[in-house]
Amino acid sequence: MSSAERWSPPVPRAEPVPVLELHDMHAAYGGIEVLRGVDLVVHAGHVVALLGPNGAGKTTTLKVIAGQMQPTSGCMHLGGRHCNGAGADALARAGVCTIPEGRGIFPNLTVTENLRMATYGGAVLSEVLEHAYDRFPRLRERRKQVAGTLSGGEQQMLAMARALSTDPALLLLDELSMGLAPLIVEELYGHIARLAHDGISILIVEQFARTVLAVADIGALMLNGRVQQVGTPAELEQALAGAYLGATT
Amino acid sequence: MTPSDEAPSGRMEEFQREINNVKVKSGSASLERQLLGLGILLALAGIVVVIVGWYGASGTAVLSDQIPYVISGGMLGIALTTIGAALYVRHSLSRYLQYWLIRLVYEQREQTDRTIEALAKIEERLGSRS
Repeated sequence: MSSAERWSPPVPRAEPVPVLELHDMHAAYGGIEVLRGVDLVVHAGHVVALLGPNGAGKTTTLKVIAGQMQPTSGCMHLGGRHCNGAGADALARAGVCTIPEGRGIFPNLTVTENLRMATYGGAVLSEVLEHAYDRFPRLRERRKQVAGTLSGGEQQMLAMARALSTDPALLLLDELSMGLAPLIVEELYGHIARLAHDGISILIVEQFARTVLAVADIGALMLNGRVQQVGTPAELEQALAGAYLGATT
Repeated sequence: MTPSDEAPSGRMEEFQREINNVKVKSGSASLERQLLGLGILLALAGIVVVIVGWYGASGTAVLSDQIPYVISGGMLGIALTTIGAALYVRHSLSRYLQYWLIRLVYEQREQTDRTIEALAKIEERLGSRS
């Protein structure tokens, strides 16, 4: 059966249109299929945690959503519109913002210069700086410091501040906790919770299951290129306890 | 956290408007596969052109009549075959190396999982002794 037969366009409904919907999404690196039918929904203002071990296809899912990688089959809806094949730049302009694993900041530029880089889309520098420093006061103290010399947590704050300056509707976060101390991770997730409260929809790829589930509305457990289970954090805790994640021990 | 299940927010409406303006490419995403196929087609077309050129040139003993066949049949055919073969080799190699790299990564992960499992067993046994 082809993917076109398996999936039919969504019928009009009374409930709010989700920010993101993936239906039977497949993607491959060359001949190797990595996503084997991912189904995922992110509603407006929700924090969705995408959990799973290495190689499950979490980062690939983010790449497909961000338009950095084209799916081989399946369907992606953003704001209710079919968006397969949309370019990463167009999606970023529309409000799909990615913070990649490793933060993606410019290590040789200062904090202010990094934030200035976010203004090339048309944002006003003074407003970008004001919002960034209000949200992350520690960046104000470090504004003249070269970003590469910041601590891991501060670098992540800078990446988040730069992403938020683009006024995203959907924020995609890849491994926020990577290489950070648990206390810092907790602090960053506090920021995430506030962002969701402000109405930004957030999809977080994470292996630090316990911490992310504390702020997530929905968790999705991904294994072998498929979403195996979707549920509330309480429902997922049970599945995670018997599963695979070092972070749950 | 309270999800906003009510009416779509202003930002959501704006997002929907912006998404509606995004240009979406249709068709298959596998450019590499298309280029691989194109390479095979070009190479085959080149061989056909060479054969046609040879057939045309062999039909006349006059050198001046053979030159157009040599140019269009021989040189064009060889050029097409070369370009096609280069495309095919380049993308075949690329696919093979991708596969090889992913295989290595996969095996390394398998190995790491086995090591972790073995360490866990050792830890468990040591724990049960003490």
